[in-house]
Amino acid sequence: MVKTDLYEYPPELREEFEATEAIQFRDGSSATAADVWHFMTEIAPKRYPFAYTQKKYAGVRLSRDIHLPSAIKNHYLLLTMNDRITRSRENGAPVIFVQGGQSVDPYYAAGGIALRPASVGLWARGRHEGLGLNEEVVRQHKQKEKAYHAISFEACQTAGYENIQEGGLPIDMVAPFTCLRCSDISYGVEAHRHGPNKAVKLMNIDYPMRHQADKTWAVEYFAQNLRRLTSEIGKLAGREVTDADLSKEIRLHNEGRRLAIETAELWWSADLPPTNGVDRRSLYQMGGMEVHGDPSASLTVLRESHAYIKERVNKGIKAEGVVDKPIRLFVCGSCVFPNDFRIEEAGAIIVGQDNHWSDISTLVEEDGDPYQNLAHAILSYPYEQSVEVRAAWTIEQLKKSRADGVLFLYQWGCNTQSAIARMLCDTIKRDTGIPTMIIEQHEGGSEQSEQLLNRVNAFIEML
Amino acid sequence: MSLKRNFFAGVDVGSLAAKSVILEDGKVFATGLVPSGFDSVESGLNALNLALETAGLKKEDLTYIVGTGYGRVSAPYANKAVTEITCHAKGANFLHPTVRTIIDMGGQDCKAIRIDQDGAVVDFAMNDKCAAGTGRFLEVMAGVFKVKLEDLGALSLSATELVPMSSTCTVFAESETISLVARGEKPANILNGIHHAIANRISGLFARVGITSDVFFSGGVAKNTGMKTAIEEALKVTIVKPEIDPQLIGALGAAVLARNFSKKQGLWS
Ligand code: SF4
Repeated sequence: MVKTDLYEYPPELREEFEATEAIQFRDGSSATAADVWHFMTEIAPKRYPFAYTQKKYAGVRLSRDIHLPSAIKNHYLLLTMNDRITRSRENGAPVIFVQGGQSVDPYYAAGGIALRPASVGLWARGRHEGLGLNEEVVRQHKQKEKAYHAISFEACQTAGYENIQEGGLPIDMVAPFTCLRCSDISYGVEAHRHGPNKAVKLMNIDYPMRHQADKTWAVEYFAQNLRRLTSEIGKLAGREVTDADLSKEIRLHNEGRRLAIETAELWWSADLPPTNGVDRRSLYQMGGMEVHGDPSASLTVLRESHAYIKERVNKGIKAEGVVDKPIRLFVCGSCVFPNDFRIEEAGAIIVGQDNHWSDISTLVEEDGDPYQNLAHAILSYPYEQSVEVRAAWTIEQLKKSRADGVLFLYQWGCNTQSAIARMLCDTIKRDTGIPTMIIEQHEGGSEQSEQLLNRVNAFIEML
Repeated sequence: MSLKRNFFAGVDVGSLAAKSVILEDGKVFATGLVPSGFDSVESGLNALNLALETAGLKKEDLTYIVGTGYGRVSAPYANKAVTEITCHAKGANFLHPTVRTIIDMGGQDCKAIRIDQDGAVVDFAMNDKCAAGTGRFLEVMAGVFKVKLEDLGALSLSATELVPMSSTCTVFAESETISLVARGEKPANILNGIHHAIANRISGLFARVGITSDVFFSGGVAKNTGMKTAIEEALKVTIVKPEIDPQLIGALGAAVLARNFSKKQGLWS
């Protein structure tokens, strides 16, 4: 069916956009800004019309901050996930399904592509073309029903194992970190052990529990696990992985992490928000180098964006659609966040989120044994520490981001985060006086439920 | 010299009823209450028109309108939308400045709200996942006993004892009630048990936000005297008596905010 009433980028923007930088991919190829413009204005509206919806609250819709090239380039990279991942895999890069929220340096060092559940979902989404918004939501709902079969109806259903079980995506290996942050890992691993698709190799990266970052045995043990991981991926990729490969990858990922930290510091220091909440989140996320399935691509966009943000902050340029002095919300919890469009309409903005910011903001030591350095960094991620330590780190982020309130949002079935939420929020409130609110989400769809948004709006009004 | 009169309206579109209050400066001038229909815009307009008709006014006579309730997001007639949590706080504060805690039980959710001396929300907790303590739940119970919704309270207050209920889930409570009736328990005693079971469930919300006197009970369920008594017993508080229909408090608060917003914008002085 031909989709009508789709958003169109203003044609007069073309010249300005085409003067921006090309995206460099890991395989040495690139996409010029003209290529990106052509895809986003000619091809994607036909292949992925849902993203061009005019529904103002639809979470998947394109950012309207059209003068920020990273916003368009980020959408381009997300909408080309299927094309790019499929091509890279055909060219010999194994695709590894990762969970546990850790950094993806070792997967890429070994020649693989690391995709977390959300990215696996984006890859799967790209295989269904021509869907309007409602059709895309129906597809997602059907996918969730498959997930109930593949995993358990008690799990949060964001894990994406159904894509592996039904063989819908050519994933080569399942290799999660067995840390505690995500209760879906155990459901997923068990489902995979008992599921029909035994051809996909399973490898658990054993994460020493109970906060062992300062114990030599734990760092060494975990470093051995990381060596096993790179060696197994290397076998799939048909290459031997050296320490120098990992060192090089750590340096590359550190550049992304540094850029994200600098971008965040700039953003947080600004009197007027230089981007909207969606674009801010994308920029910070790019520092984790996982989100596009291609660290080089994320890095080129992030480098360019950093310069734009700097200019906007220095000149006091405010993002389209954001109020002058918004209420600043910091979001805690994994995998879900409230609808930015509704939040901004209510006069607030999301300034940060703890989850992956924990790993993005942790730099890895570059001198010495790269496996031990990476193991030490991963074991130190604040999100994995005791609630008191995680709260202290969160409070630091609240101060840096000048947050007025904290929203802890978690999915129904997300057992660890739901158990932690109350204690974390109470600690934050006790130590800072910053108001907190906990919300459980149990829904799918293009927009969040009125009940959920009603709470968020009331919280904003209270602040 | 004749001074221009200023009128402000609040429109609260809930799941069961749409309510409107028109304020003239510091006084409630007119009200309107109609059942909510399928179309929330139409329901809100019906409530507003009823209040305007009662007041002998036209929409153009209103200086400012605030929309609230679940229908607020699509309320083209309103100048601004505010959540009902903020509106109930303002409404209760307008009637009783000494109120610090509000229990709001509406058609589809139930809220515990703590406010300060200015009627600003200090903390709140909501139960919108489960039907316990909502108008819908009591509607189902009224259906089981074949009595009018508004008669549930009086019936339960005529109870001679309390029949314990083990479930506050609408579906399970309905089947439990039917089996209690079949066992010969009196409807009044069962209803007494239902009201206390809900009151105990709701006290959990207050464990989070705390209770400070005075306590106000708003929303459609606040008209149920049996529920009010059960809550007073469960929370060990005395609920202040509202001067107007407690179902109108959200709309009243919206009208108070309409007055405040329009003053801030210099639309009147
Ligand atoms: S929502 Fe929680 S349980 Fe689900 S994938 Fe995310 S971290 Fe894991």
